Amino acid sequence: MDFLLKIEESGICQWVRESDSLFAFPGILLLHTLGMGLVVGINAMVDFRILGFAPAVRIQSLQRFFPIMWVGFWINAITGTILLAVNATKMTANPDFYVKLVFIALAVINVRMLKKHVLSSDFDDKRPLPMNAKVLAITSLLFWLGAIISGRLLAYVGRSSGV
Amino acid sequence: MNSGYLHLVLNHFPTLGFSIGLVFFAMALLVKKEELERAGLVIFFLTAAVTIMTYVSGSDAQQALKETPGFSEGLMKAHESAALVAFAFMEMTGFFSWIGLWVWGRRSRFAGWNRGVVLALSLITFVLMARAAYFGGAIRHPETEAAATIPVDPSVPTLARSWGLFVQDTSWVWPACETLHFVGLCLLFGVVMTVNLRMLGVGKTLFSFAALYQLVPLGMLGFTLNLVTGMMFFVATPEQYTGFLFFLKMALVVAGALNLLYFMLWKTPSQIEQGDDAPIVSKLVAASAILIWVGVVFCGHMLPWLGNSF
Repeated sequence: MDFLLKIEESGICQWVRESDSLFAFPGILLLHTLGMGLVVGINAMVDFRILGFAPAVRIQSLQRFFPIMWVGFWINAITGTILLAVNATKMTANPDFYVKLVFIALAVINVRMLKKHVLSSDFDDKRPLPMNAKVLAITSLLFWLGAIISGRLLAYVGRSSGV
Repeated sequence: MNSGYLHLVLNHFPTLGFSIGLVFFAMALLVKKEELERAGLVIFFLTAAVTIMTYVSGSDAQQALKETPGFSEGLMKAHESAALVAFAFMEMTGFFSWIGLWVWGRRSRFAGWNRGVVLALSLITFVLMARAAYFGGAIRHPETEAAATIPVDPSVPTLARSWGLFVQDTSWVWPACETLHFVGLCLLFGVVMTVNLRMLGVGKTLFSFAALYQLVPLGMLGFTLNLVTGMMFFVATPEQYTGFLFFLKMALVVAGALNLLYFMLWKTPSQIEQGDDAPIVSKLVAASAILIWVGVVFCGHMLPWLGNSF
């Protein structure tokens, strides 16, 4: 715990937490929100396409947006690490935080499986997709939903992240 | 000028603007002119967007009028509730008008069921909006007979206030709405990014505009989710959502609606095939769409730091 406290009380973490600058806590949290929009938004487009929306869009083509999705993911990995560091002791003591991490891990594994089994294979778009593809699309949506719910609840459960 | 005065300017859109839309739409059905019908739907959709600004600027107007002599708190609350009901129907009219326009964009014809729904909703909205406007007018002119005809019983909580109390007193409602507000944000963001980045050139060899256009209703679903959850916050604590930043957010939403209409009404984007580079105007509109919606997220996110909310 001493180690976590040291991080939390370091100069940069104090600045992020306590500065009135918009580039401190508010700005980092804003980036975290925008990153979420990119990751979950683009992933959700893929999921809904697999579930039958927008049939004119070729499923495999949606991979073109994956680099942008991963940009969002890395923005959130970085800003998330900062947000964890500035509240290290409270966050690591909050079970909800681990629930969120598990959901994100599941969602990432899920999107890799989608890429491997649905987006890269030579499915004929004109034929109905196999059931497995649709199951993966639904679990993907559920995992991200879980991540959003547990993430939002961090502000309520254990009162660890402030806003 | 504060947004209290803005309310007095903006309140003409839901009444006058909507009436014009209704005339267009009714005439279109009588003479069976599809262009006229489209115009009616566009006016309904835009009026619904501007009415968001009208509704939320009411909170500022209330703050501004509170100190004036003869101000009736009861009358204000009656107006707020009448406006809330009218607003709900206005947004439903706007939603189904948009669906009509979207279907037209795909098939160049209207769906019959949608026409009926829009007609019914717009007539109900017209009556409710006239009532809300009548109540609102009475606030400014408490000496007139109009004010006396409106039944005001301060001991009975109005619809808007009891809704507000429900949101405040039920512990799970606020966090649940916040969570759904994020879900809606993701849906909207996913559509805004994919469609507009394609216009800017990402994946232009892979997607035609018409294909990605099919995704747009998912964005509208996300927006609707956020309008509903956003109203839960607003009705519960209207005094939080006053001032410049929140008004800017709502103005950007209206800008977003206008921006979307470019892609739905103009012929240029619909002719962009797989492999085509979008013309410069489409690119500019697409870039502004991304800026507008990032701006909306920025304004909403910064409310606790730069605005009046907690």
